[in-house]
Amino acid sequence: MIALWIILGIVVVLIFFIIGAYNSLVGFRNQVKNAWAQIDVQLKRRYDLIPNLVETVKGYAKHERETFEMVTKARNLAQQASSTAGAAERGKLEGELGMALGRLLAVAEAYPELKANQNFLALQEELTSTENKISFSRQYYNDSVLKFNNKIQMFPSNVIAGMFSFKLGEFFEVIVAAEKEAPKVSFT
Amino acid sequence: MLCPVCHQDALIVEYQNIELDYCPACHGVWFDAGELELLMGSAGVEDFQRYLEGIVRAPEVETTEKKHKCPACNHKMKKTYIDRDNKILVDVCHVGDGIWFDGGEVQNLIKELVEKSPEKGASQGVLAFVGEMFKHQTD
Amino acid sequence: MWEQIRSNQVRSVFLIALIAGLLLAVGYFLGLYFFDSAVGGLVIALIVWAIMSLVAYFQGDSILLGMAKAKKITPDDAPRLYNVVEEMKIASGLEKVPDVYIIDDPALNAFATGRDPSRASVAITSGLLQKLTRDELQGVIGHEIAHIKNRDVLLMAITAVMLGTIVILSWYASRFLLFGAMTGSGRRSSSRSGGGGAQAIVLIVGLVLMILAPIMAQLIYYAISRKREYLADASSALYTRYPEGLASALEKIGGSKQQLKSANQATAPMYIINPLHKEGMKAADLTSTHPPISERVRILRAMTGGASFANYNDAYRKVHSGKQVIIPKTAAAGIGAIGIRQASLAAPGELGLASEKASDKAASTHEVSDLMLRLNKYRTVDCECGARWKIPPGFKDNDVLCTRCGRRIRL
Repeated sequence: MIALWIILGIVVVLIFFIIGAYNSLVGFRNQVKNAWAQIDVQLKRRYDLIPNLVETVKGYAKHERETFEMVTKARNLAQQASSTAGAAERGKLEGELGMALGRLLAVAEAYPELKANQNFLALQEELTSTENKISFSRQYYNDSVLKFNNKIQMFPSNVIAGMFSFKLGEFFEVIVAAEKEAPKVSFT
Repeated sequence: MLCPVCHQDALIVEYQNIELDYCPACHGVWFDAGELELLMGSAGVEDFQRYLEGIVRAPEVETTEKKHKCPACNHKMKKTYIDRDNKILVDVCHVGDGIWFDGGEVQNLIKELVEKSPEKGASQGVLAFVGEMFKHQTD
Repeated sequence: MWEQIRSNQVRSVFLIALIAGLLLAVGYFLGLYFFDSAVGGLVIALIVWAIMSLVAYFQGDSILLGMAKAKKITPDDAPRLYNVVEEMKIASGLEKVPDVYIIDDPALNAFATGRDPSRASVAITSGLLQKLTRDELQGVIGHEIAHIKNRDVLLMAITAVMLGTIVILSWYASRFLLFGAMTGSGRRSSSRSGGGGAQAIVLIVGLVLMILAPIMAQLIYYAISRKREYLADASSALYTRYPEGLASALEKIGGSKQQLKSANQATAPMYIINPLHKEGMKAADLTSTHPPISERVRILRAMTGGASFANYNDAYRKVHSGKQVIIPKTAAAGIGAIGIRQASLAAPGELGLASEKASDKAASTHEVSDLMLRLNKYRTVDCECGARWKIPPGFKDNDVLCTRCGRRIRL
């Protein structure tokens, strides 16, 4: 009789453990999804800002066609990939877009009238802020992925993760090479 | 800002990025310390703090004129001359929030400037700016 | 990395329990004196406390913002400030963008309020908005958002309410006691004249407690508040990945002599620096709501290795040359190395962006003052001579005389 009670107790504890572990895994997975959605919002915002920015700069800097084409192309590539590609692939394309944008802003530096244009200044602030938001939401996303992955791989929650086949989250890294190469902007 | 004399909302006039508060009823002018600093800065005066302290510490002048309260900190201001010839009597905030020119004082100041007395001391630029901004008090 | 909240709570809960104990003790003695029943006093203490808590919980933020005369702004009013708030919201993982308020005051300060992270507000003085660069603004907003994220706002509100209750109860109790003693008609003398020595001891203990309780409660309140400041600084560095931003903002704020007009002892810990600061305040003063600014700046500047809590702890140790840590180990041990980013390049003349050049400085100064005028519903007219007139909403005339050129401008 006592043995039965003990077994029953163990089973109950086990069930509670499984429910708890499963729920916390789902919680972490939702946080990752949520964090990814935030990055996505900011990336979309950047796609929307770029045509405006290119148009504004074009009005002052007519001879920089090459730069405009590069930015537009990088933007279109990144946007196309946004619905299909995974975090790693998108990171590469967004890195290239970031680099092209850096070049565009460097070009803008050579035109004082452009820099005095209210519309341009407003766009520049929006773009700066969007870039910040992308990198902050990337930090938050990667932190969430790391926590989720730890949970999946560490004992004992890894057993539950295996049972319900939770997949590891993918980190979002905007390629560092591009960031290093970003043109130096000088204010002289 | 409320005019320290009439206690009504003053107008604000901005010229060359310097803002002054102007009461259309009594024609008085408030020169805020922040604006003073901007004016001095654009004129290339380095040590604004020393100039301001100089005015704040200047000796109080005995006068029958009514004392006013500072529109920024609401404490009584003191009467003092800010030009070298002791002709322009202004109200200065004790903690250096700014300078108040009574309506009559602005008139005096414009007259002074027209007579072109050569040297007004450290406040030359300030007086010239106020005079320039308020030379047409009537149509 | 976001678990620091829990470990800090243990320490804070202990301090809160201490204040709560004080509150109960005050109630207990209050009951003994006035109703001959400790329970009655406890009930009164709890009722006063409950009413004040309810008010603080439901109306606390609007009372605080109202007292500070803060004006709510939209993204269109101040795009840059709003953007920075959104950035810090994302970096901190807060669910909702807090409401943004501006206080029309030349003093340099900022605070956060709101009972929980989904109903929070940050407020900043117009003076501060004027003086800070974008990076510095980010540091300050990061600090305020950290207060919201770490639930310091709620914690400080709970403590402030208990402190307030203690102050009120013991104030009234001590007045009544003194009054009773002077007129010689205290009810205790009639009801328990035969109490003897034990009675006298209780009386003295109670009296001493009534006098000391408010002071002790205040000290505990300050102790809690100081701890939270370090954590908020560390969090801001972590969110922005740029400790220098907050460091130089604090330096600017600390250099200002202006006191905030609308602050008092109870609301002081809500601000980024103590709004009631006096010059030459002693370092590590027990009665200070905030650690000294110079020390906070030195710690932030010593964070050379990275922007994580572990780096903040290292920096704290370097500055204090001891083994002490300020952020709990469990919180500091999180995700590995976190790098520090570069200073962001900034174009002059944009909202809230201080610049060294005189003309830019004038332009950026007036960007903020113009924003305040817009919020106050001023109209703007340009005269042909180049002067620009800003007309208060109560101005009745149909035209205004431009005193510079003598033209009449129609409104």
